[in-house]
Amino acid sequence: MKNGPLLLLGLFGALAISWAGIVLGSHLQLGALTPYYDDSEGKSFPELAPGMAARGQLVYADLGCAACHTQQVRRPDYGSDRARGWGERQSVARDYVHQARPQLGRSRLGPDLTNLAGRKPSAPDAEDLAKLLYLGSPTHPGYSFLFDTRQVVGEPSAKAIKLTGKLAPAPGSEIVPTERAQSLVAYLLSLSTPYDYPESRPVPRPAPKTAPAKPDQKAVPATVPDVKKKAGEGKQ
Amino acid sequence: MINAPTRATTAEVTAIDTQARGPLLLLVGSGLGWLVASGIFALITSIQLHSPGFMADCSWLTHGRAEALRETAFIYGWAANAGLALGLWVLGRLGGSPLRALNWAVVGTVFWNLGVIGGLIGIATGDMTSFAHFQLPRYVQPAMLLAYGAIAVPGVLAWSGRRTDGTYASQWYAVAALFLFPWLFSAAQVVLLWAPVRGTLQAIAAGWYAQSLWACWLAPMALAGAYYVVPKVAGRVLPSYDFAPLGFWTLIFVGTWTGGRHLVGGPVPAWIATIAVVACAMLLFHYMVVTLNLRGACGTSGTAIRFIRFGLVAYVLTGALDALTSFRSVAVDTQFTFLASALEQLGLSGGVSMMLFGGIYFMVPRLTGRTWASSALADGHRWFVMTGVVVLIGALAVAGWTQADALLDAKVALSDIFGHVRLPLLVASGAQLLVLGANLLFLVHFCQSACACCLTAAPAENPFRQPSTLEAPAS
Repeated sequence: MKNGPLLLLGLFGALAISWAGIVLGSHLQLGALTPYYDDSEGKSFPELAPGMAARGQLVYADLGCAACHTQQVRRPDYGSDRARGWGERQSVARDYVHQARPQLGRSRLGPDLTNLAGRKPSAPDAEDLAKLLYLGSPTHPGYSFLFDTRQVVGEPSAKAIKLTGKLAPAPGSEIVPTERAQSLVAYLLSLSTPYDYPESRPVPRPAPKTAPAKPDQKAVPATVPDVKKKAGEGKQ
Repeated sequence: MINAPTRATTAEVTAIDTQARGPLLLLVGSGLGWLVASGIFALITSIQLHSPGFMADCSWLTHGRAEALRETAFIYGWAANAGLALGLWVLGRLGGSPLRALNWAVVGTVFWNLGVIGGLIGIATGDMTSFAHFQLPRYVQPAMLLAYGAIAVPGVLAWSGRRTDGTYASQWYAVAALFLFPWLFSAAQVVLLWAPVRGTLQAIAAGWYAQSLWACWLAPMALAGAYYVVPKVAGRVLPSYDFAPLGFWTLIFVGTWTGGRHLVGGPVPAWIATIAVVACAMLLFHYMVVTLNLRGACGTSGTAIRFIRFGLVAYVLTGALDALTSFRSVAVDTQFTFLASALEQLGLSGGVSMMLFGGIYFMVPRLTGRTWASSALADGHRWFVMTGVVVLIGALAVAGWTQADALLDAKVALSDIFGHVRLPLLVASGAQLLVLGANLLFLVHFCQSACACCLTAAPAENPFRQPSTLEAPAS
């Protein structure tokens, strides 16, 4: 390796090849992924999140919630994701096409949140989430900085969280979620993947003694002439 | 091609080092400062794992933010500063002439560290990018790229103006680290921040960056030091040196393809993870070559070499475990658990940090022209930090194992898992405290040694010194 320029060229080339292979390669495959238009429903999936929820995703990202929560359900036969009620089907790339910054997460200290609003039998409501965020739990920190404690002037706020006993605020005052907390709650309540895309269905296991198929291949063209199915429960 | 550094009994020319003293000590000193800062954040995040309410009221230090602060201070503060100091020094020495344009490095260091400070404030106030190992807010990143360029100038000049015919393995690694970081940092900025790719492609690009950062920057910086120090201290030519170029190119060509292993089972094309599994297995060749080349680190004594030995073992173990955990059948257990954190700590705190420590213990006496201030402090640092890191990784592995087992069983509620891992996480917090204390000790020791050198005129009449006279008191 006496030739300096050749060494530099090699270094440059090595990184260029892997960048082209991984980043550009996957971009060519998925970059043009579109929402899925369902004729019978007359609309596209995934649906655009309301503005409040989109703002909430920024709050989710800036607080670093992804340090403990994932937002990716693995396929039913890979891990216990379905058994834990986190989702009936695996997450696919199309679920995230509208998200400015998907928060896949890398750690599961807390539950997966992909389908938080579609949980069965009962999904949390805004009140539950606001209380959890304010009070915390033995396993979840309470973020009181997302709430204002203020004097009640005139009518009490409809948004104030209802606390009883020792936790109740002093008489004449109330605890109201700030706008950030409200957006965060709106975002959490928008997390649901009710629609089954053709590519998201589990590939049936092949009969024994045959070579296993690639079960988590998800990328298929946007227009798959296939029968669609809607698991219409749990949509917020 | 046997052109490894020759016997260490050859006189060492310190005249080359004295000119670089100030700038390189500045880099090392700021690196150590960041290491302590990162240790404080690590302690906070570690306590938050078993006591979630800790500092929860403080919006600057939610667990997610503290985690990003810890990681950023470690990588862009400690590893960057210390690794660059070591890289520049190695390039200067092996280039055969004093480093030039060191003013650039000083200015670059100041702005780089200002960038890190700005970045940490940004993260604490909610501007992090939320990509692992790439959390610096977008507004500090271009400035840091420029600052990095300025720090690298002396290295580039030393490389292009080298007086020797052949080149050495530590030079390849140092040059690779120096050149490749701007490449991958700017490429990641483009596809993640300025013109972000859509949806889960961001996760793929972020995985590519995080892994390339490891394979093309962190590991080469640490190895540049190890490949320089081991033959010097062992006093003999590196064994199996003919394989070294192959090991080097394997790391650079294959290492960057392993990023997809964290996305196994995720909403990305399956080939991303498959190619990562293959690349992880191929990369084992690199770890094998490093083991072959640097096996001389065993059976040699001295503070520097002891750190490097520890670092090499951790580095090679990281490679083997990376390959093992990349398999789908293993990843189904280990993914999303503390085992992943344990593995990351093994690579960063066990591998890279320890090799950088070794390099610093070897380099600083040669820069200052005098031995370390206190051998007791050096020994204390070594014992505490090594014990701390071993206990930390062990505790995280136990927690991870328990968590992995319980996560697979859907009948165990998440809150019960929390109860099961509480004890090992408490131990991990104790270990973090120990590591923090040890690194604080090292910072104090470094300041003592650097100040002693600045306050008294250097006795540099005779520029030729035997390495043994510089090593002895600290070993």
